[in-house]
Amino acid sequence: MIEFRDVSYCIGTTQVLMNLSLRVARGETLVLLGRSGSGKTTTLKLVNRLVSPTSGAILVNGSRNDHGDVIRLRRGIGYVIQEAGLFPHFTVAKNIGLVPKLEGWEERRIRARTEELLQIVGLEAGLAGRYPHQLSGGQRQRVGVARALAADPEILLMDEPFAALDPLTRDELQREFLLLQQRLHKTVVFVTHDLREALRLGSRIALMEAGKLVTLLSPQEFVKSDDPWASAYVRAFGGALDPVPNRGTS
Amino acid sequence: MRPSRASVCVLSVLLTLCTCCTSSHGHRIVVGSKNFTESFILGELIAQEIEAHTSLKVERRFYLAGTYICQQAMLAGRIDIYPEYTGTALTAVLKEKPGSDKARVYQRVKSEYESRFSLTLGPAFGFNDTFAMEIRGEDARRLNVRTLSQAAQFTPQWRAGFGYEFMERPDGFPGMAVTYGLHFAGSPRIMDLGLLARALKDHQIDFAGGNATDGLIPALDLFALEDDRHYFPPYEAVPIIRQQTTREHPEVVAALDSLKDAISDVDMQKMNYSVDAQHQDPQNVAREFLRVKHLAP
Amino acid sequence: MSLLRFLIQNHSQVLELTLEHLWLVGISTIFAMLIGIPLGIVIAHRTAWNKPVLATANIIQTIPALALFGFLLPLPWLGARSDRLAILALTLYALLPIIRNTYAGIHGVDAAVIEAGRGMGMTESQLLYQVELPLAASVILSGVRIAVVISVGLATIAAAIGAGGLGEFIFRGLAMVDDRVILAGAIPAAILALLADFTVGWAERRLRPR
Repeated sequence: MIEFRDVSYCIGTTQVLMNLSLRVARGETLVLLGRSGSGKTTTLKLVNRLVSPTSGAILVNGSRNDHGDVIRLRRGIGYVIQEAGLFPHFTVAKNIGLVPKLEGWEERRIRARTEELLQIVGLEAGLAGRYPHQLSGGQRQRVGVARALAADPEILLMDEPFAALDPLTRDELQREFLLLQQRLHKTVVFVTHDLREALRLGSRIALMEAGKLVTLLSPQEFVKSDDPWASAYVRAFGGALDPVPNRGTS
Repeated sequence: MRPSRASVCVLSVLLTLCTCCTSSHGHRIVVGSKNFTESFILGELIAQEIEAHTSLKVERRFYLAGTYICQQAMLAGRIDIYPEYTGTALTAVLKEKPGSDKARVYQRVKSEYESRFSLTLGPAFGFNDTFAMEIRGEDARRLNVRTLSQAAQFTPQWRAGFGYEFMERPDGFPGMAVTYGLHFAGSPRIMDLGLLARALKDHQIDFAGGNATDGLIPALDLFALEDDRHYFPPYEAVPIIRQQTTREHPEVVAALDSLKDAISDVDMQKMNYSVDAQHQDPQNVAREFLRVKHLAP
Repeated sequence: MSLLRFLIQNHSQVLELTLEHLWLVGISTIFAMLIGIPLGIVIAHRTAWNKPVLATANIIQTIPALALFGFLLPLPWLGARSDRLAILALTLYALLPIIRNTYAGIHGVDAAVIEAGRGMGMTESQLLYQVELPLAASVILSGVRIAVVISVGLATIAAAIGAGGLGEFIFRGLAMVDDRVILAGAIPAAILALLADFTVGWAERRLRPR
């Protein structure tokens, strides 16, 4: 579904990514795990071409993502970022309906879809007319997810979407994400620095360090891994890690 | 966004208001004048004649600071009429070389103004307010000088004073100094026209560039030197009118016709004197003149 | 005759000069917006041009108004009509606040919002019209407000070169040594400036993003 072929990315003299090769299968949740500066966010942005590689290629659905219209590419990929990035001057409904509106859907269809999505992400329909500043952090993030799903893209890119939330809300949203995935089977690339989140949500974990892909393992393998970086990560999270809590089948 | 559309609407309403008000004046005539006594007496005379002979409302926009400003106001349609001098129009506005034939200058100015500016000239008021080079009466008698040529030899001992426009205009000081070979002590002082006569009387200057119809000439015992080489072009006082105004309000033309040749040099001097020396109100002076001459009730 | 009675008696002239004044200010502000806002958008997106453009606008601002009028007078088409000249000069003076505020407004839009928009597949022009401009509108209007208030003041000087407006009352009053005439120009001009500040400020507040 998504493939990175020997991708490198430099800014000036800094090598942000080095020779990254990676495949993301359809319907899986691939977690990019790493600390700040490891290159995980850059990797994510290479998929929807917010960043262009210095060398190598990224393929989406079999064709290179630098061939063809970048706008079409992006409209077919849902994008959720940490601070939600909701348009403050749009209502919740208008935020959610953004891509459908750009795609020219008729009003009725957009309204129906918006109602459907509010229900999917667990928000009451009455919130449709509110503005982002009137919502809590958790509610905003749910709207962000709804917005990303609006045009029913096959791929979802999520950049530390729950990092800015309090632990309780984060837990709630993670649980709901799993239920959502069970229902929708999207191909998700999920960036996080939190191992627990990675173990809980990912079907596979790609550990990145200093721009390189260090290891690519399933959650169970990761916890038992001998790889120095992986085990360092596990140690940093203090053990007591249950590799498969509340996870549905992928 | 909706609010900015509202502001655009408000702005366009304001603008349309402006445009419809600056194009023509409806049933109003705006009379302008420059900022010296004679000009606003003439402006008053024009305004009162129009008020007396037509049903139009007259607005006065006097004290405009100079020929350029008046010309701009006429072109923009902000004023409809103002009193000008043929010589000034010829040299300062049309930028042509001064001529000496009164009738030819009038015709030239009229035809050029009509073709270039859509402005026309009304009939001349009847006096020639040319530049008058003034010296104290006592000096004229003592040195026995009557003409500028005779005065030239004394100029190195004299300090001169002129108005601002006279210094700068091509038909002003530079040409005169060359024509008559005048060499003053030091550079001439520039001062307000209204202050020249007094400065001359008080011995602050010895030679002043005034106007032939200065009210203060007889009052302060000043002597106007004769322009024996005919350097200065004629400065017939005339009303300048916008052609659009003459078309829309022909009654204004008729009102101005009644002022044709109505004011002699002496008449103008007397009116200037009443205002400058006797401090009478220009409106009253004009009204009195029109009454005496049976031009208005 | 008191000032109030003078104003009432000459109300049509006061109105006419006020409208002339508004025309000068209005038209020049519109021109300045037509030039300045696009320019501000360009330099917000291409920061390399930022310094030269702002520096130029700054230099224009520092030229004293009357001096600028003097420079422009000898020009052929412009100098023939002093109101054209005045409008050009007023437009130039209005540029800096408008360019600078447009730049600041667009620059100040939350980068996360722009990135989210871009990531979801908005084109650059969709981003500009649907996101950047609406969110920057309040700041841009603030620049317009400053420009208008400056223009109302500068337009009084325009009367010195015969462009009309309320300044004419002021200059005529000076020549006549008549306080009422001076105030008949100065007070409406001040009121205009305050009104402009108030109305544009109101629009600014309405457009402020929550």
